[in-house]
Amino acid sequence: MNILLCCAAGMSTSLLVQRMEQAAQEKGIVARIWAVSAGEVKQHIGQADVLLLGPQVRYKLAEMKKEGDARGIPVDVIQALDYGTLNGKNVLEFAMGLKK
Amino acid sequence: MGGFITFLENRVMPVAGRIAEQKHLQAIRDGIILTLPLLIIGSLFLIIGFLPIPGYNDFMSSVFGENWLTKLLYPVNATFDIMALIVSFGVAYRLAEKYKVDPLSAGAISVAAFLLATPYKTMFTPEGASAAVEVGGVIPVALMGSQGLFVAMLLAIISTEIYRKIIQKNIVITMPAGVPPAVSRSFVALIPAFVVLLVVWLLRILLENTSFESIHNIVSDLLAVPLNALGGSLIGAIIAVLLVHMLWAVGLHGAAIVGGVLGPIWLSLMDQNRAAFQADPNGELPNVITQQFFDLWIYAGGSGATLALVVLMLMRARSQQMKNIGRLSIAPGLFNINEPVTFGMPIVMNPLLIIPFILAPVVLVIISYFAMSTGLVAKPSGVAVPWTTPLIISGYLATGGKISGMVLQAFNFIVSLIIYYPFFRMWDKKKLAEEQGSAAQNSDRTLTM
Repeated sequence: MNILLCCAAGMSTSLLVQRMEQAAQEKGIVARIWAVSAGEVKQHIGQADVLLLGPQVRYKLAEMKKEGDARGIPVDVIQALDYGTLNGKNVLEFAMGLKK
Repeated sequence: MGGFITFLENRVMPVAGRIAEQKHLQAIRDGIILTLPLLIIGSLFLIIGFLPIPGYNDFMSSVFGENWLTKLLYPVNATFDIMALIVSFGVAYRLAEKYKVDPLSAGAISVAAFLLATPYKTMFTPEGASAAVEVGGVIPVALMGSQGLFVAMLLAIISTEIYRKIIQKNIVITMPAGVPPAVSRSFVALIPAFVVLLVVWLLRILLENTSFESIHNIVSDLLAVPLNALGGSLIGAIIAVLLVHMLWAVGLHGAAIVGGVLGPIWLSLMDQNRAAFQADPNGELPNVITQQFFDLWIYAGGSGATLALVVLMLMRARSQQMKNIGRLSIAPGLFNINEPVTFGMPIVMNPLLIIPFILAPVVLVIISYFAMSTGLVAKPSGVAVPWTTPLIISGYLATGGKISGMVLQAFNFIVSLIIYYPFFRMWDKKKLAEEQGSAAQNSDRTLTM
């Protein structure tokens, strides 16, 4: 499972990446999770199964959805409180739910 | 305060979203990002060149020879001084990408258009002469840097718009069947490139007959100078900071949205300081407001100057929740990343905490502006210190090694601590009451069971 995260500079989402990797390991799920800035999404989305946006860049959802729809990749915004508390487990479950 | 949030959500947010998504502004923002790694590397050489150590200059001269500084600053000439050239390519590339036309051709055409707009001459004062003479046959370095920034952005947009319109209307030279596709592709850019260069050429000829004399002069007089004056003023800075934090109040990345529009202005103000600093590291610098002014003196810990708030949570919180958020936030906070605070505490959509979140940065802008404009504290030297650099270190580096830059950061930290304190207390109390309330409820339940 390949999960791509994106925010303005790819900085704060990279904090979440670590937490999600931990959560995946605990569950025994093999997942590649990585974070990029909004400008870099186009170069990375081809390798992803799911694209998640930080809530602070949710104004980009329409544009990113277009990119995702063209490739059949679900795109959504991470819930604000899960994002703020770096709840890797919830966000991982959210990503896996989107994929189904 | 609840009404204020509704107003932000319904009125400000959609407009901000539309501005942030505007194709040309996005291309400008993404194109300018291309220069940032270069500027940071150039800054490294600048810092080494002007280390504020007594006797440093003499020491370096004795080891590396008289011209050590000139040689050391070669990379600065190849980074800061060609900023506009890189932007010219980068903006066109990113815009063409959005239109799904060949970005490489668009970038190349844009650079040609930018240079076509630039007269190949410079003023030079020969040794012993009193007046400068015009020298032909050179690309003027001055116009390749921040001075040429606005021309580069404008022509990148104009040339790419012409390019993609012609391609999309399919006005291209088609080769007969049997010609290898690679060969016929190379002809595709011919007509649009010709039209772009024709337009810029005519514009240049036309302007040479006016008092403006060149495209660079007209853009500078009508656009760059007024915009820089506005963006470099105290009022401009306060409005920018208000907008950034009002957007964050509803959970949108205000700094990215506002910076996307005002970034080019702050970048060229920064480079004006850099040029002055390079000429004389102890001389008067022209601008207070630059990109680093906001990143390093206002946004300590992230937008809202939240490092002070994180420290309060760590040291003074009584509720478990605030203790946790404090622990979670301190490491990223030292590098000026604060999403755990804004979304976790949360500040976003929180009528109580939005007050200090907006108030603190505005107060810091006013304090820092006056501290720097009166000469009490050194102005940012134009060294492009990345926004993730921790407090105190960043203030030292960004002023070109002046202690006063660190002192102001420390002072601002204390000011934001005082502003946040009462609001932090109220919120922590509320959280503690909630925790005790639910704990009491739980123990009630065990009793009845």
